[in-house]
Amino acid sequence: MEQAPPDLERQWQPAPLEPLGHTDAGLQAAVGEEAEGSRDEVPGDGTEHALGLGVLMTENNFGLKKIEISVSEAEKRTGRNAMNMQETYTAYLIETRSVEHTDGQSVLTDSLWRRYSEFELLRNYLLVYYPHIVVPPLPEKRAEFVWHKLSADNMDPDFVERRRIGLENFLLRVASHPILCRDKIFYLFLTQEGNWKETVNETGFQLKADSRLKALNATFRVKNPDKRFTELKHYSDELQSVISHLLRVRARVADRLYGVYKVHGNYGRVFSEWSAIEKEMGDGLQSAGHHMDVYASSIDDILEDEEHYADQLKEYLFYAEALRAVCRKHELMQYDLEMAAQDLASKKQQCEELATGTVRTFSLKGMTTKLFGQETPEQREARIKVLEEQINEGEQQLKSKNLEGREFVKNAWADIERFKEQKNHDLKEALISYAVMQISMCKKGIQVWTNAKECFSKM
Amino acid sequence: MSGGPPKGLPSTGPHSLLDMPHPLAGSSSEEAVGGDSTPSPDLLMARSFGDKDLILPNGGTPAGTSSPASSSSLLNRLQLDDDIDGETRDLFVTVDDPKKHVCTMETYITYRITTKSTRVEFDLPEYSVRRRYQDFDWLRNKLEESQPTHLIPPLPEKFVVKGVVDRFSEEFVETRRKALDKFLKRITDHPVLSFNEHFNVFLTAKDLNAYKRQGMALLSRVGESVKHVTGGYKLRSRPLEFAAIGDYLDTFALKLGTIDRIAQRIIKEEIEYLVELREYGPVYSTWSALEGELAEPLEGVSACIGNCSTALEELTDDMTEDFLPVLREYILYSDSMKSVLKKRDQVQAEYEAKLEAVALRKEDRPKVPADVEKCQDRMECFNADLKADMERWQSNKRQDFRQLLMGMADKNIQYYEKCLMAWESIIPLLQEKPEANA
Repeated sequence: MEQAPPDLERQWQPAPLEPLGHTDAGLQAAVGEEAEGSRDEVPGDGTEHALGLGVLMTENNFGLKKIEISVSEAEKRTGRNAMNMQETYTAYLIETRSVEHTDGQSVLTDSLWRRYSEFELLRNYLLVYYPHIVVPPLPEKRAEFVWHKLSADNMDPDFVERRRIGLENFLLRVASHPILCRDKIFYLFLTQEGNWKETVNETGFQLKADSRLKALNATFRVKNPDKRFTELKHYSDELQSVISHLLRVRARVADRLYGVYKVHGNYGRVFSEWSAIEKEMGDGLQSAGHHMDVYASSIDDILEDEEHYADQLKEYLFYAEALRAVCRKHELMQYDLEMAAQDLASKKQQCEELATGTVRTFSLKGMTTKLFGQETPEQREARIKVLEEQINEGEQQLKSKNLEGREFVKNAWADIERFKEQKNHDLKEALISYAVMQISMCKKGIQVWTNAKECFSKM
Repeated sequence: MSGGPPKGLPSTGPHSLLDMPHPLAGSSSEEAVGGDSTPSPDLLMARSFGDKDLILPNGGTPAGTSSPASSSSLLNRLQLDDDIDGETRDLFVTVDDPKKHVCTMETYITYRITTKSTRVEFDLPEYSVRRRYQDFDWLRNKLEESQPTHLIPPLPEKFVVKGVVDRFSEEFVETRRKALDKFLKRITDHPVLSFNEHFNVFLTAKDLNAYKRQGMALLSRVGESVKHVTGGYKLRSRPLEFAAIGDYLDTFALKLGTIDRIAQRIIKEEIEYLVELREYGPVYSTWSALEGELAEPLEGVSACIGNCSTALEELTDDMTEDFLPVLREYILYSDSMKSVLKKRDQVQAEYEAKLEAVALRKEDRPKVPADVEKCQDRMECFNADLKADMERWQSNKRQDFRQLLMGMADKNIQYYEKCLMAWESIIPLLQEKPEANA
């Protein structure tokens, strides 16, 4: 295993000893906020359900401690960037609380500020060191799928607020993942304000990252990938496409609905003006107009709620990319394995040819031998010896690559199954909450028009 | 064909349009329309129900014999007995059964006008004739001429404003039919206009064109005399109450115009919303095809959105067909009322001018000449008629708008109720736990 990367324990976590259970992080998990839907089972401790809990290995003892994480604030900052130019960015306050088993009270243990780029750094690190894990995605960097009233500006307070929630969700997903939660760099992200960036970079993870080119090459040339991964890749492509489409159309639907409601507001004004010239009809018209105003203004809250639904869909849109990353890693490993096997086979053949003196295939060596005369027996012995050593090494490598590959497939598929369950659960919840939103909107509509109808009846 | 069960009011009838002879051609055409010789059980039923009413003297065209839609005549019969308002109504007019006629020169639509009355002015208790829009237009002009001191209800617009609308489409024809029905009912309800001879002829004559050609055979004296007032006189000032009416009508028409624009805008926005919804729903279906456990929930959401789309389409159709036309009708109404006000001004101006002329002559004879007295009479009649009509108009307007706006609220409530039902029914589907592991 000489070629194994230095920190093996970080890279190849054995399957967790505790059952995986349900590890879902609901979207609402800030401390103090109510979140009916979010349940977090602490691995190994099936009896505890709490809001937004994760499990962390503390630095000192490797015992499991329950923590609560929240991204509670966002603040605009100005500073100097790497090129010493002034820039404005938003910083987010991350608060970690440890929960005492006995009384459930939480104590603030850590609190620090991080900006979006640091979150990105953390995620990139996790992607490199846990290629078999479907790594939770970050909220979008720039506002996309906006409908006209929403701002596409990164500094817009609504966008910042939604991003704060998204970042919190990311941390909770990581903290509730049975494997990722144990990562030291993640722990330091939550606890070590200064120097964290240097610490991450010192792991040298950027160097370990697979080059995109290599990955692309492998995807095209791999001969025998595990069929499940190929199917999964197709699925994630289609999922990404369909959710993108859905989000785009939903944004347009929101736009149009906004228009419908707002135009009704004009009735308020004209009914009021009309009522001024009427005697008996006046009061009814006037009060009906008021209800039209209420109707028109109700759309703002309705659409704001719907944005949460869009955010839930977006998370899974980005998850599709994480799925693809795992598939790519498999293809890369498989391709590597196939290349190593091919290389070994060719070396074995060479060796055989040299040993038996037969040249079965056309080779340059064969040609030169014919042209310049055969080599001496001693030379031939030397070459055979070298080849035999290489073959030995190659066989060992192949064995270990095979083992690695199988380990990867096993672990990756376990996490994919976990992810599938999480996805089904979360999306069902999202659809339910969407339906509930629609029901609430319909009820409000019925209420307003019933009120208006009563006013009209009094005309 | 006529042996079939009664189907309410068929809009085109079971008769092929090309088969139908010209409806205004003569009495024989009405019977010929019946088709086969054996009367249908429906027609027989109609006959037996009110046998005494259906004794046919020469030349009458009783209702119910020529059309297979005899359930409508049953309904009308019931209406005759129904004393909803507590008033004793003795005249009922209905417009229905639009039919398309294709002739060499033109294509047009006729409507069946059914009249039931116990008034002496009508020879028969029931009439059924066919009229086209032209005829209504003629009637209205005649009423304006012969009853210039009264407010004549408006007709729906003659020409189609937005050129793309098909004037033979079911929706357009139905909208127009309703407006024409309203027009005749308003006249029917008017204590003076309903007795107008032109109105009577319109309701009863088999050959209206012949009557039209005869010219103004029967004129009311008031109408004739007022008709000769030329517009040479200028009114100094409108009396307060009529000025107030004028101002009211101006603002009223303005506000209605605004409401019309708003309503149109809302419909436009709703249609654009509908277009997006029709794309939105199917995307959930597409997604559903990729999934296992989520397939049913996603498909359910797709169907739900489809149902909401349908409900929205019904709402926009209703608003277009029922709401907008009534608004427009009232705008036309107030326009025609303003012109009646102007005519009244004319009459007053003439009277005042003549009065002034007499005063200027400075004769000792205090006797006012006869023609000045006539002018005064004319003016006072006009004022009285107009005031009475205004009051009636105000009260009808109030009722009409109450109904119209409540109707609008109702349609919106129904739309939301349909959507609510769709979404509520899908919640249990979404909450279903899968039986086997996905």
